[in-house]
Amino acid sequence: MSSHYEAPIRRPLIVGDKSYHDITLEVAAPVEGKANKLWWTAFTIALIAFLWGLGAIIYTIGTGIGVWGLNKTVGWAWDITNFVWWVGIGHAGTLISAVLLLFRQKWRMGINRSAEAMTIFSVVQAGLFPVIHMGRVWNAHFVLPIPNQFGTLWTNFNSPLLWDVFAISTYLSVSLVFWWTGLLPDFAMLRDRAVRPFQKKIYSLLSFGWTGRAKDWQRFEEVSLVLAGLATPLVLSVHTIVSFDFATSVIPGWHTTIFPPYFVAGAVFSGFAMVNTLLIIMRKVSNLEAYITKQHIELMNIVIMITGSIVGCAYITELFIAWYSGVEYEQYAFLNRATGPYWWAYLLMMSCNVLSPQFMWFKKLRTSIMFSFFISIVVNIGMWFERFVIIVTSLHRDYLPSSWTMFSPTFVDIGIYVGTIGFFFVLFLLYARTFPVIAQAEVKSILKSSGEAYKRYRDAGGKNPAPTKVVKVSTTTEEVKDTAVQKNDLLGSLGVFDNSTQKADDLKLISGVGPKLEKTLNTIGIYSFDQVSKMTEKEYDLLDSLLESFKGRAKRDDWAGQAKNLKNNG
Amino acid sequence: MKNILKITIALVFLIVLSSCWGDKSKPNYQYMPDMYKSVGYETYSENPNYSNGMTTQLPAEGTIARGNVPYEYTDTNEGYETAKLELKNPLEISEANLENGEKMYNIYCLSCHGKSGAGDGVLVEREKFLGVPNYKDRDITEGSIYHVIMHGRNLMGSHASQLTTKERWQVTMYVQQLRTELLK
Repeated sequence: MSSHYEAPIRRPLIVGDKSYHDITLEVAAPVEGKANKLWWTAFTIALIAFLWGLGAIIYTIGTGIGVWGLNKTVGWAWDITNFVWWVGIGHAGTLISAVLLLFRQKWRMGINRSAEAMTIFSVVQAGLFPVIHMGRVWNAHFVLPIPNQFGTLWTNFNSPLLWDVFAISTYLSVSLVFWWTGLLPDFAMLRDRAVRPFQKKIYSLLSFGWTGRAKDWQRFEEVSLVLAGLATPLVLSVHTIVSFDFATSVIPGWHTTIFPPYFVAGAVFSGFAMVNTLLIIMRKVSNLEAYITKQHIELMNIVIMITGSIVGCAYITELFIAWYSGVEYEQYAFLNRATGPYWWAYLLMMSCNVLSPQFMWFKKLRTSIMFSFFISIVVNIGMWFERFVIIVTSLHRDYLPSSWTMFSPTFVDIGIYVGTIGFFFVLFLLYARTFPVIAQAEVKSILKSSGEAYKRYRDAGGKNPAPTKVVKVSTTTEEVKDTAVQKNDLLGSLGVFDNSTQKADDLKLISGVGPKLEKTLNTIGIYSFDQVSKMTEKEYDLLDSLLESFKGRAKRDDWAGQAKNLKNNG
Repeated sequence: MKNILKITIALVFLIVLSSCWGDKSKPNYQYMPDMYKSVGYETYSENPNYSNGMTTQLPAEGTIARGNVPYEYTDTNEGYETAKLELKNPLEISEANLENGEKMYNIYCLSCHGKSGAGDGVLVEREKFLGVPNYKDRDITEGSIYHVIMHGRNLMGSHASQLTTKERWQVTMYVQQLRTELLK
């Protein structure tokens, strides 16, 4: 590190003056704290949606596929639309953790853990659809080439639906292993911090006895790199295989050679949008804004913009080829998309997928978190309609006009889709409270090169390694100015602490408050989280004027916000 | 941990073994018998929809199925006599007819009438019953042989349900050949 050169143009990936310990604390905080009301509300809603979907699935299997809106012409609609949509969403996780690893992108470290979790949870959702859309689910094991009593009756390896089985199952298992390997040091961190025996036991089991020796780390890195190398072709091939479900058919509108890369680009597009949606919420509710910074959001927006443009190119290519081919069926397929009975779906898909990513060219928009959140949702709506349009508009009007028909979903179709969204969030919410949502081991590895404090120190001409804390802690004891007026003002708005009826909180739990500062606060008359949580601009200023040093720290570290969390969790 | 592993292995082994101890007096368990049971009526199946509980019902009397010729000689002594005089074998005497006749004879007639038609079938030898005549002792014609196969006579029952019209004439032809052999 001592000879480290980093271009000054690079912005910090970890903002705030974080130390290694701060990272540990902030990553572990959601796991070690208690869930708040917001979490329980979200979890309940997700659980209800999941159970409703489960009911719809059981109803489908018990009664028959006829309860869906499918008909003889349109044999695939919401089922496969949702399948491809979920698989597509799942692609961003592996892309972030594998492809960005190969390209040595340090910004992936703040987001890869959650992106991979998203991959796994969405592939689980996707995996439901190929099973439940079967007419006879209980014979699903026949898709596997297992020696059997039917004279070793085997599968036909010519069908992309069989390739799907291999693609999805391999993808899920490799992603799971990749994810779990990365989790070992983080689980070990939680294990070592755990106070209660149950948690200790669980995290010792999950961390597989990770001790973090040099040899372990060396192999860990090698494994990660090899897995990244394997996962990259996998991520491209999985969605390629999914696209073969359509591309290898003879249906006008499906039979194209552009599908494999176009589907992959669409998958990355929608996957990144979903990562954006989730992380924008997560950085806020889990107080991880220092690690999932605006720059992360901006970079993801750029990926969305690029892949969105690739998808846009593919749309234009398809239209051009349809015109250029001179095949009237192909031309009609596209005419029907644009002007047929599902024109609104085509319009939604076009406007969401082609227009929305183009807003990201404007720095003001792509660095706006509210706007990114909005667009990320728009993109996923658009990408859902892309799959719907490809599947349904190609099927409902094809070669024989006598078999032209329409498709409309039933409440069961919709219920199952809502159910998978619910299931996804059930898993993701549970994950967010039990797993280290940021790969703290990896983030720590970039702290000294991309941490804000270290960057500031380097830019100011300081030599590496930077000091552990850039903001020097004053060695002199903290003197509280005897300004009774200010003290009274401060306590007036924070409330007076009564020693006889209330119990003093451990203010040291607030990041940035040490034993010394706690004493200082006590002398002012601040003892409880409740008091600290009431602090606003005015109180921060008053406190600053009372303190000799530490000026501006309370506000910078958001003591009020921290105290609010501690109050709710305690 | 090691104990858990051992117990698991033992349990798996037991479960595998238990598949050998099924109740052999009952049909085995089936996994999802989607199309195992016929929706349509199987010929010999029970059928609660008919008063006699059988799927197979008798055709209406007097109807003639395509390809069949009704046998007009009644199951009486008069019918026997008339058939004996009038009824002629419509088949040509040929190797193929005799060969199939022998096959059918060996299946349906052998046990009582014996291999040569001398009334010395295995059931007679074992004295299950007596009174099976030798072909040479009876004055039989092709018409009477056919009539007896068709309706049966005395102890012998009708074999009309076992043999088709053609097979009956082939057996008749073979019985005549046996009789000629016996008369030599």
